[in-house]
Amino acid sequence: MKRTRTLFIPLLLAAALLAARPWTAGAAAPGVKECLECHGDKTIEKSLPGGKTLSLFVDEKAYRNSLHGKGACTTCHADAKAPHGKLEKVSCGKCHPDAEKSYSRSTHGKGHAKGNADTAWCTDCHGKHDIRRHKDPAALAFRLNIVGVCLRCHNDRAIEDKYKLPGQEVMAAYEASVHGMALKKSGLMGTAVCPDCHGNHTILPGDQPRSATHRQNIPTLCGKCHPGILEKYEKSVHGKGMRGGIADSPVCTDCHGEHRITKISDPTSSVYPKNIPKTCASDRCHENAGISSRYAIPKKRFSTYMDSFHGIALEYGMTKAASCASCHGFHEILPSSDPASTVHKNNIPKTCGKCHPNAGPNFAKGAIHVEVSPQKAMGVFAVRLFYTIFISSLVVLFVLHVGLELHGRRRRKRAEEGKKE
Amino acid sequence: METQSPGPVYVIRMSLMFRIQHILLIFTLLVLAVTGFALMYHENWLGQALIRFEGGVLFRGFLHRAAAVFLMAQMIFHAYYMVFSGEGKRELGEVMLRGQDFADFLQAIRFNLGSVTEYPKFGKYGYKEKFQYWGATTGILLISITGVSLWAETFSMKFLPKVFLDLALIVHGYQGLFAFLILLLWHVYNEHLHPSVFPMNNAWLTGKVKAEWLRQEHPLEYEKLKQEGVL
Repeated sequence: MKRTRTLFIPLLLAAALLAARPWTAGAAAPGVKECLECHGDKTIEKSLPGGKTLSLFVDEKAYRNSLHGKGACTTCHADAKAPHGKLEKVSCGKCHPDAEKSYSRSTHGKGHAKGNADTAWCTDCHGKHDIRRHKDPAALAFRLNIVGVCLRCHNDRAIEDKYKLPGQEVMAAYEASVHGMALKKSGLMGTAVCPDCHGNHTILPGDQPRSATHRQNIPTLCGKCHPGILEKYEKSVHGKGMRGGIADSPVCTDCHGEHRITKISDPTSSVYPKNIPKTCASDRCHENAGISSRYAIPKKRFSTYMDSFHGIALEYGMTKAASCASCHGFHEILPSSDPASTVHKNNIPKTCGKCHPNAGPNFAKGAIHVEVSPQKAMGVFAVRLFYTIFISSLVVLFVLHVGLELHGRRRRKRAEEGKKE
Repeated sequence: METQSPGPVYVIRMSLMFRIQHILLIFTLLVLAVTGFALMYHENWLGQALIRFEGGVLFRGFLHRAAAVFLMAQMIFHAYYMVFSGEGKRELGEVMLRGQDFADFLQAIRFNLGSVTEYPKFGKYGYKEKFQYWGATTGILLISITGVSLWAETFSMKFLPKVFLDLALIVHGYQGLFAFLILLLWHVYNEHLHPSVFPMNNAWLTGKVKAEWLRQEHPLEYEKLKQEGVL
């Protein structure tokens, strides 16, 4: 009994496998071997209009090692007979309906549906006969390979110009960015590659609200990999404003950039200490009069900062000097009216104390950003005015005195000469 | 006509001690002005060029503070010398402000305007020299106090509110500008462009002036030296 069972199971399996083999179903369906009789020839090609040729060669080894290598040619090329003419276009959606559905909604899918030959289709990113699982390092769509795949089209000036796509400089910026360097230099699996931000099958342009890279989706998107930062951002005045639908509120990319994101230690980074004031006080944000009045934010924050010790020191490369973020915070910025803010009047001694251990409550009295005007800083204004008047009037009086003396001297000379004679 | 000796007679006006102090002061004040204005006018191309010339903002600060320490040391030495040495005591007596100085100033103005016929008679130092001396002294004192409080900012912050440091910065900068302009205009006029000394009063190098110049410009001192038998 036991013996018959051990024999029976492999027999059953073999029968099942035989029954499942598609090429046994129809009499005319050719097997892989038969197809390769022609397609295994490296020189087999088809002439296309315009003198071009299309290779019809299928590398057997690559096919056998592919994800579909144990299947049959006719699974995809159902209308293939031997010999055959032009075959129908393969439909991946037959087996991968979800992927096809999301692809059809993407900007690539829409272009493809219009018959646009330039737009990426399944095989452009996944390969044809050599398709591998995306986790396989040899796969085209493997994390560390996908950027190169996208760049085949997106680094092509002709395609960029034709469809008004971001140019080569944007692609180069990604390659020089912290994400690009992590990919290229360190081969880090955790770095952001194109589909991490743009999506894979569902890629849409950033100006469409459903796009992963639309402004309103950016914090969540970046938060996928930077959840700790997102948590802080959500509590900040910028995060709350953004979630509250205030379009002026900055999202990650407004300060850090998009493709060009670099480390804060990189002098070209928009968040390198020396560049922080210009990033915060760009024309769009804290140096914009409209923003200041709309959200009742104090004005002249940039110029008063740049005139201060900190501003001058920072401008001349002393990156140790406090920039905006040193006092106001980075991702967790809160308005000074919030008791939890680092610049709330109760917390200012502590904030100053980070760098100046002796700066106690007494020191922190009064304005930090000194706007020299009678309303904002009377003392400083008055002393400066006094000196200006004092110095200029003394200069005028002095010149008058010199003039008078030269005039009087001539009289004196004449008088003396008169005495002598 | 008076009988004249073959060559002009010279008298000592600045001893070697004062000439050395004066030269050190010129050097120090120049360094302080150049390094200080570089920072005060840092948004200006000249300021920026100066900062680069001075080896960047850090080294500029080092130079400025080194010169400041030197200046304060000179000031302390000068005060000590003026109060305790024999020569210093005499000079302090000469340069001390008196009511007469103000009267001299008014009389000089009146004479220049033509309302009196006598030009005031000055001693070794007239109101112009005294104004220069005491102006510079007060300026250096004020600029030292504000400068030190800004330099030792960690210490200052313990006692002083930030607004004091804001004010100190303004006073320090403008007092510096003031001193610089006075030196440039007043001193250059008195010691270089004034017709009696043009192109330069050489006393700061040789220590000597012509007795005739003294008789014309500082007649009281001339009389005094005559009585003392120096002349």
